[in-house]
Amino acid sequence: MATRTPSRWVVERRATAALAGREIRRVLSLWTQTLLPPVVTGLIFLAVFGGALGDRLDLVEDVAYVRFILPGLLVLTVAGQAFANASTSLFQAKSEGYIEDVLTSPMRNWQLVAAYLSGGVVRGWLAALLLALIALPFAGPVEHVGLTVGALFLTGLIFGTLGVITGIWSETFDQHAFVANLLITPLALLGGVFYSADRLEAPWRALTRFDPIYYLVDATRGGWTGINDASIAVALAVAAAAAVALYAVAVALVARGWRLKP
Amino acid sequence: MVELEKVYDDGTVALRGVSLRVPPGCFFGLLGPNGSGKSTLIGMASGLIRAPRGRILAFGHDVVADYHHARLELGLAAQDIHLDRFLTAQEVLVYHGRYFGMSQADARTRAAELLGVFDLAARGHTKPNRLSGGMRRRLLIARALMHRPRLLILDEPTAGVDVALRMELWAYLRNVHREERTTILLTTHYLEEAEELCELVAFIHRGEITAEGSVEDLVARFGGGRLEDAYLEAMR
Repeated sequence: MATRTPSRWVVERRATAALAGREIRRVLSLWTQTLLPPVVTGLIFLAVFGGALGDRLDLVEDVAYVRFILPGLLVLTVAGQAFANASTSLFQAKSEGYIEDVLTSPMRNWQLVAAYLSGGVVRGWLAALLLALIALPFAGPVEHVGLTVGALFLTGLIFGTLGVITGIWSETFDQHAFVANLLITPLALLGGVFYSADRLEAPWRALTRFDPIYYLVDATRGGWTGINDASIAVALAVAAAAAVALYAVAVALVARGWRLKP
Repeated sequence: MVELEKVYDDGTVALRGVSLRVPPGCFFGLLGPNGSGKSTLIGMASGLIRAPRGRILAFGHDVVADYHHARLELGLAAQDIHLDRFLTAQEVLVYHGRYFGMSQADARTRAAELLGVFDLAARGHTKPNRLSGGMRRRLLIARALMHRPRLLILDEPTAGVDVALRMELWAYLRNVHREERTTILLTTHYLEEAEELCELVAFIHRGEITAEGSVEDLVARFGGGRLEDAYLEAMR
């Protein structure tokens, strides 16, 4: 039976949707590994710092400590999970060889990156959404929903794309873990999640402001509480530029076949 | 394939100006010892090895410049079996079909058809790591056929498999070639396999094509009574 050949656009759309669907399905089907741990970790942070110690800690910027730290915890959740998912999934596909199914397909390079990115951002956003919903009664209302969502959206794109690049670069599990442990975690913990940069002495204040996560945390905090240190417009513009630049790097690496093709 | 050259990053010269034409509809065998360049040639054609020096056309489409159209014409079953362990056998096929632009409904229908053809219908909901080696090999070939490629590339499909399975795979391949009118490029170092299946054969040695023609032509050219004799003579 003769079948009509679909147009190039239809082929590429179906291919990208299929790979993105596979990535998102992986996140949902492995929810005890992909969604539950970050939500539990976030809740433990909130319980310890917001609940157990919250009464002994001063108000920060005139808001309760639990309300102050929640936006940062959401950024940490999105960043960590988007990075982990994209890097692990790509690294697994590469090291187990089944990425050949994708590399021999007619998908464009930017579509392949977008599909791997999608699993990461969905994992990050879902985990953050669950954490936010559980914490909402304790952390108070969101002042600017659009700004909060926008800042977390950019966080997912930046760290998901960084995850794609790390997945491409890693040839061993150690290399993969190196980036997570020695780059992402320190940057996340020094990004002003638990403190206000304005309260720090030099040189810590300056160091914090060199941390890109600080601006994402600050913008998200500005969205949730209405209080922030740096310029929101500058933070979002820099984050958007970083997301575009990292995406372009990831596409270029795939196009070149770097560490994907001999 | 025109004037293909490939030097790996470690300096290994895999191909030295290889030119080869596989006629449409042909069952074509590429024979050579380990390390002769067979897998490199196939990897270049299918997009698994970085852009070559030289040119590869698949039914008129350049595999580098026009990879979108070229890859739709090609189906690859690589030498090593790499199947997505998060998916069932049926899903492996359906996802592959979707990666090549098939609709969900078409991909499901085609997957069911191929699971039947390759005697895997009862194992459609089993994950690849729970299948036997022979079943996984069959699933790999079925996957390569999912999007109805005009050229099926098989890289040593019977390497390391027992005689019974080899015969079984030969029967499947003959059937695919006959029923689906698929052009097949088969690499192997089992000479009896090429003798049994292929209409045309090329010898590759140290990255160069040393001879090509029908089995009869090669035997007549190099002497001896069988392809094996001709092969050994050509490899000298």
